[in-house]
Amino acid sequence: MGAISLQTIGLLIDIFAAAILVTAFLIVSSRSLVFYIRLFALQSFLLGVVAFLVVLGYGETHILIAAFLTIALKAIAIPMVLTRVIERIQVRKEIDFSVNIAASLLLCGGMVVLSESVAQSILSGQQTDSSAVSRVLSVSIAMMLIGLFIMMTRKKALTQIVGLLTMENGVFLSGLSITYGMPLIVEVGIFFDILIAVLILGVFVFRINKTFETISIDSLRSLRH
Amino acid sequence: MSTVLFSLLLGSPFAGSLLCALFHKRRALEIITAASSGLTFLSAFWLVSVVMAASPLITPNGWWYADGLSAYIIIIVSGSAFVVALYSIGYLRRQIGSGKVDDRHLWLYYLLLNIFIFTMMLVLLSNNLGFLWIGSEASTLATAFLVAFYERESSIEAAWKYVIICSVGIALALFGIILTYFSALHVVPATDNALNWSSLMQVAKNLDPAVLKLAFIFVLVGFGTKAGLAPMHTWKPDAYGEAPAPISALMAAGLVNVALYSLMRFYILVNTAVGGAFVSTLFIIFGLVSMAVAVPFILLQRDFKRLLAYSSVEHVGIIVFALGIGTPLAYFGALLHLLNNAIAKMLLFLTAGNIRMAYGSKFMRKATGAIKVIPVSATFLIVGVFAITGWPPFGVFVSEFTIISAGFASGNSIPAILCISIITTIFVGFIYYTSRMVLGVPNRPVTGGEANTASLLLLGVLLAALLLLGVFIPSPLQKCIDNAVIVLKG
Amino acid sequence: MSEFFGVILISLFQLLLVLATGPLVNGIIKKTKARFQRRRGASVLQPYFDLAKLFRKEVVVPFVASWLFRITPYLVFASTLVIALLVPTVATPVPLHWMGDIITVIYLFALGRFFVALVGLDTGGAFGGLGSSREMSIASIIEPAMMLAIFTVAVTAGSTNLSVIVGRLTSSPASMLNPAHLLAFSGLFIVTLAETGRVPVDNPATHLELTMIHEAMILEYSGRYLALIEWASQMKLIVFLALLSNMFFPLYMATTWSPWALLIGSAAFFGKIIVLAVVVAVVESTNAKLRLFRVPELLMVAFILSLLALILYFIIGA
Repeated sequence: MGAISLQTIGLLIDIFAAAILVTAFLIVSSRSLVFYIRLFALQSFLLGVVAFLVVLGYGETHILIAAFLTIALKAIAIPMVLTRVIERIQVRKEIDFSVNIAASLLLCGGMVVLSESVAQSILSGQQTDSSAVSRVLSVSIAMMLIGLFIMMTRKKALTQIVGLLTMENGVFLSGLSITYGMPLIVEVGIFFDILIAVLILGVFVFRINKTFETISIDSLRSLRH
Repeated sequence: MSTVLFSLLLGSPFAGSLLCALFHKRRALEIITAASSGLTFLSAFWLVSVVMAASPLITPNGWWYADGLSAYIIIIVSGSAFVVALYSIGYLRRQIGSGKVDDRHLWLYYLLLNIFIFTMMLVLLSNNLGFLWIGSEASTLATAFLVAFYERESSIEAAWKYVIICSVGIALALFGIILTYFSALHVVPATDNALNWSSLMQVAKNLDPAVLKLAFIFVLVGFGTKAGLAPMHTWKPDAYGEAPAPISALMAAGLVNVALYSLMRFYILVNTAVGGAFVSTLFIIFGLVSMAVAVPFILLQRDFKRLLAYSSVEHVGIIVFALGIGTPLAYFGALLHLLNNAIAKMLLFLTAGNIRMAYGSKFMRKATGAIKVIPVSATFLIVGVFAITGWPPFGVFVSEFTIISAGFASGNSIPAILCISIITTIFVGFIYYTSRMVLGVPNRPVTGGEANTASLLLLGVLLAALLLLGVFIPSPLQKCIDNAVIVLKG
Repeated sequence: MSEFFGVILISLFQLLLVLATGPLVNGIIKKTKARFQRRRGASVLQPYFDLAKLFRKEVVVPFVASWLFRITPYLVFASTLVIALLVPTVATPVPLHWMGDIITVIYLFALGRFFVALVGLDTGGAFGGLGSSREMSIASIIEPAMMLAIFTVAVTAGSTNLSVIVGRLTSSPASMLNPAHLLAFSGLFIVTLAETGRVPVDNPATHLELTMIHEAMILEYSGRYLALIEWASQMKLIVFLALLSNMFFPLYMATTWSPWALLIGSAAFFGKIIVLAVVVAVVESTNAKLRLFRVPELLMVAFILSLLALILYFIIGA
């Protein structure tokens, strides 16, 4: 790896992490289900690239498989499954909000500031090298918060799945940034769980669509108290 | 020997799942499930005896681990699984008879039940925090279709909420685990072991307290969601209310304890590392909030299984509250309560299944005069309600009494008083609704009859156990809990 | 003495450059758009002919119009010319850079906008009023976004003076790829589309839409007044493209005023703004104009991109 200096890798990681954060914001600003899924695929692809860069820069070869899995599962397989679901149930592709886009974007911007302070408090006590990867921690926390925000304010069942997956991406990025990824076997197990979760949720979307004739979770209101 | 033991505990439910996937005959499915869960239960006893002699137990590769705490909880969980597996046989036969369930669903039920038990064992036996997480998420996924089993609108709604809320919670817990891993990376010599309990506990004092505190908050929210602590409990009444009665029973008696076990592990770790009042205060607050949140919903409930779900929220609150008090006596009470609550919840959920089957409705106002229609189940129900609300001479009374006196003894008088008043209020609500259900005249022709003798016998055993625990605690159990208390003390 | 003449000469060169390239770049955008629509399109020089024609035409002034109507075209044109003196194009530093910094530039644009909006109201026509109110409400979101994007760069360079910002970057080219920079660039790009009245915010190609903004305000203008305003807005585009290219990627800019450096600088400048102009044309051709109520959302994205840029600057550092 002599050709690429650690500094260049650090710069590239910074850029891709910023791009990942931008995809999260674009998801928040988007109105169409199809965009949601495409942006999520792009986000996962960028995440895979960051994982590759960590392999290149820090020689953590066990992440290589996690990087491949991220791209294969989250950037290709899961978006394909979700797109199939959309095609099959032929929903109205516009998303309903409980918080409008402008306010959502502002709130999410605030979350980035918040996550920066959280990240600082995590990193402050540590005798870490302030490597590029650890700087990405705040981006990952922001993604978890934004994912949670998407789940709370966007009312389609599929948007909740995308919100959950954005959160998962944030968690993965955080692992990448402060611990150079979890041990391989754990990482593989986590990917397996996520894939199964998406498949199960996809089946539920079908069923919700069949029984309620809509996939808006507003109709999921019968169970109270 | 440890390898044999671990492979028995993990292998029998796993083999059960594989065999269930292969066979579709009802008879075969019943035998496989009963045999695999029975075998797990037996191995759990073996585990306890081994752990008592030489605690703790680790496999050579360091992946699996058992000590006094996990052995005790494995006994409870595998026992609940065994009871539920046996009860399921009679329950599903009746459901098939009444045409509510077809063959494919029957197969799915047994398959997922076995996977569910396997995932719980995975959590309880793993030494690696990552495996623990994987098992927890897998247990949510395994139960997703079981919650949606009847494919009604409401059950799909419940299952959706269940999977989404629990997955979000568990994702936050994963972040907490990553933070723990992060704090350990600089301290544990071999990186591959940095996620293992056994190595984490050795270096607990050297971990960064600030990071661990933050990690603990995420883990508390995450596994607290799975355990059903307020305010993350919202999936619980839906899921418990909609799942088939035996599944609700196993979720309330097994899954809740598995989630509490994960919380306890982190509790031990963070308590050792951080010390002081941080963890205790959090636990006392969450415990009291969970108890208090349950009160209004129990007083205004129409659906008996949802009533039980809120009762489960309350009792998880009591256990977490007891852990927060943090004296050996409180630990003892918490662990005893874990067992009592599990038995009482199973008794009540399974009885609720009988009543549901007899009346064909889950709403309490439609099911009146049960004592005349299904006298045995109705008796179990009313006695079970007295037991769960903490009346002597039942086990729940003993454990609640222990916890509250531990609270007073440790100077937490105000929380303890709050705890008593909440328990009393809940008792009133419970008795009001149950007496309406059990007493009085049936207000409509009742179609179903009493459950079969084997199922009733099973419920009788549970009730007997509750009574026994109310009168005295057998010395092997005492020793087992003492062992677990030692682990909790760190 | 010779230094004084040098300043005058270079400033004149700068002015002429912006004046001359304005219509050309507009022509290039129109040509590209035509090609996207599978038309041959008019020559890239067509905007020059249009301007020449307009200057020769007589001016029709509505009888209700006040003095504002007559003064505004000159004011807008003049303020744009002043901006052209402040923004580095082919070379840096600009000789008159002490005259004002980036904030001056923003306020000069705001001045022009203010007067155009007043004129829209002045004639009392229905369209003018609509255009003015839309312009001002959109401006209220664009300007904070623009400020934020520019401040990010200013913070990086430690100065609000454009020439200093550009100079700082030319001395350390690696910081051009800083994520904060890239985000601020994308924020400012959206701002550029909105400021210069491009699709998806406004459509510069038609006077026929009810949702038009800029064209609605200047609907009453004709003859040389219209020519001045059109020319000013063409120059505004050049200024924005120059800001985009030079504030973020000041590659191959001349740092001395020698002829050879100027030649390279001019070539690089033309290359960059033509690329940007083509990108603008592609955006215009591949996007539909947004409904007016959706415009604030797009601008909010620009605002957030700029905000993120600023936050990232503090997180990651320069």
